[in-house]
Amino acid sequence: MRVVLCFDTATERVAVGVGVLDGGGLEVLASRDVDAPRAALSVLLPTVREALAQAGLTVGDCRMIAVGRGPGSFTGVRIGVATAKGIARGLGVSLRGVGTLDAVARRAAGHVGLVGVVGDAMRGEVYPALLRCGPEGVARLSPDRVADPREVATEWASLQESVLLTGNGLAKHGGVFGEVMGSNAVFASEDLWAPTGVALLEALASEGSCEGVGPGEILPVYTRLSDAEERERASGGACAPPSGVAGPGGRP
Amino acid sequence: MSASIRPMEPRHLREVLEIERSSFASPWTEGAFLSECDTGPDREWVVIESPWGVLGYAGVAIMVDEAHVMNVAVREDARHAGLGLALMSHIIEAAALRGGVRMTLEVRPSNEAATALYERLGMTAAGLRPGYYSDVGEDALVMWSEDLCSEEMLELRRSLAEEAARSLGAFEGVVPSRPTGLAGMPGDDLVLAIETSCDETAAAVLRGGREVLSSVVASQVDFHARFGGVVPEIASRKHTEAIVGVVDEALERAGVDLADLDAIGVTHGPGLIGALVVGLSYAKGLAFATGLPLVGVNHMEGHIFANLLADPELEPPMVALLVSGGHTSLVHVPAWGEYEVLGSTLDDAAGEAFDKVAKVLGLGYPGGPAISRLAAEGDAEAIRFPRAMMDSGDYDFSLSGLKTAVINHVRHEREAGRQIDLADLAASFQAAVVDVQVAKSVRAAKEHGVSTFCIGGGVAANPVLREALREALAAEGVRLSVPPFELCTDNAAMIGAAAHFRFWRGERLEPSAEGVSDLKLG
Repeated sequence: MRVVLCFDTATERVAVGVGVLDGGGLEVLASRDVDAPRAALSVLLPTVREALAQAGLTVGDCRMIAVGRGPGSFTGVRIGVATAKGIARGLGVSLRGVGTLDAVARRAAGHVGLVGVVGDAMRGEVYPALLRCGPEGVARLSPDRVADPREVATEWASLQESVLLTGNGLAKHGGVFGEVMGSNAVFASEDLWAPTGVALLEALASEGSCEGVGPGEILPVYTRLSDAEERERASGGACAPPSGVAGPGGRP
Repeated sequence: MSASIRPMEPRHLREVLEIERSSFASPWTEGAFLSECDTGPDREWVVIESPWGVLGYAGVAIMVDEAHVMNVAVREDARHAGLGLALMSHIIEAAALRGGVRMTLEVRPSNEAATALYERLGMTAAGLRPGYYSDVGEDALVMWSEDLCSEEMLELRRSLAEEAARSLGAFEGVVPSRPTGLAGMPGDDLVLAIETSCDETAAAVLRGGREVLSSVVASQVDFHARFGGVVPEIASRKHTEAIVGVVDEALERAGVDLADLDAIGVTHGPGLIGALVVGLSYAKGLAFATGLPLVGVNHMEGHIFANLLADPELEPPMVALLVSGGHTSLVHVPAWGEYEVLGSTLDDAAGEAFDKVAKVLGLGYPGGPAISRLAAEGDAEAIRFPRAMMDSGDYDFSLSGLKTAVINHVRHEREAGRQIDLADLAASFQAAVVDVQVAKSVRAAKEHGVSTFCIGGGVAANPVLREALREALAAEGVRLSVPPFELCTDNAAMIGAAAHFRFWRGERLEPSAEGVSDLKLG
């Protein structure tokens, strides 16, 4: 039995899932999702403990840890990623990263067609992700990035196809998407806008592979540099990775 | 007889060296013992032999009529059984036999047990030998016995010899107790410590809170240097990248696995909140997975415990000056774990002032070492900068006015078209900072009647501040504990020392613990 513990703290929701992954198959054993604005560090481990208890397991039963890499709140993502590294290192098991926006998209998995996830990036910006859902699965169409909401809405409007919109960025920017995309903007119900433990497990299972990496190798996805580096770049200095994406596959 | 005194021979040396190394911060070498115990008529070296091995040793050199006690030590697990007194009684008799009339020795004033023993032998304190113990710069207390052959002394010698014979005869073996760790706590626990409160990712493994098996510090200074100061978001990102590797390296260098550990200690404040939560999250994850107890450490308490790592004999009451890029505080420490913050900076921390002035002068980051190097060439009295709050009557500091005065001076001189002597400027600025720190430190030590003063934090590595403090405190009879540079700046060894103390006090962090950016001491 390959028990996987996964969690995400990139949004104001602490989402925890416990399941068994075998090949492409997934059995969900437990899921606990708690709203915890700015409280991920205090809420995460007690919630993990509850989820494991709900599954009748202890942390020692876990064979792999998976964690949401964001993008989302920088500090929030780091709390999840650093805790996951600690648990994986402490157990001597491997670690996997899951895209937070992919997990959110999973919650609309019954839908057939385009799904647009709009993550709240603060400062008037969003983390957009476009995916196509169908009977054969979910395909990610755009990379992680940070963008102006109107720009994203314009881009998605140009597809001239109905897009199911979801994600916590809609609370602030839903109006812009409705205005720019018109009838092609279809809003998912607000209770689907955040990741859940089940959605994390599903996103993980959909990747097929059951292999993880060492705890040192998984890093957050930021999409933005620190303000100091952004200012430096704006003034013509050279420095950091242009994407601001760190970690396997995203590392410059 | 269960234990007996015998002449020291080369075959004893292995055990003697073991006792020597576990007893003293600056132990004698094998060569030193070899040359000593190849004795002439002016030397006497002895060991205590027993079924449990060598339990102690002592040596004396007699020059004409003066006997100098060279060395004396009793094995840790055989102490408090009168063996030290037995050794010294033997040494006194040997000295008298060889014509010694007066006898002298040096002892650390902080070693109360030894000082008390020598007083029982009729010795009295005659003065201090400043900076005698080079490891921590501690003064030596010089003790004398003026006449070994006086009526009174002969009487004392007889009773000491009787007591010595009783102690040796009654010695029933070593006590299989736990060795003693730092600050009086039991001492064989293995603690992994993690520190990420600012811009150093650090991990260390300590045994008994005092033996540093490894201490790894991954400095991020190069990533922050071009911004002229620590960028919190970059610090948090670098901690996340480095934390697994740094902790693994600390474990590997110490030669231990997670399974060998007794506890994990972690800094949970004060500091940059985004940086703190990375180390705290990782430590919580490790503890959750392994079931190890998690102990939270206040970063400032760590700086105080760094002094104890450098000088295990250190004992409160004392006053500590904690001065770094993030803090400038005077703390009264009546007992281990008890803290009373006497005063703090009202605006900039001292290290921050150094960084900002260095930035204005174009000296780069970090500013402390740059200004300190430059100041060594300059005249500290060239420019009279304000000594803010020097006479405020409290223990608070203010450094932003001084920083502004330096900036104004630079602007004024440039506008007037005059060349600025950077060395003079650096020296004058540094002197203004140091003067206030020293004045308040001395007053705090006097007011609280302490005889020991501690320092910690990156600015405590400033040589001018160290020297000025040492001198001013010595004039008041206060000893300054000076940790080595690498223990002054942020490190995890100091967190491990404090975690050991908190661990044995039964203190634990809950799985729900938060990082506290303004965590208070005490």
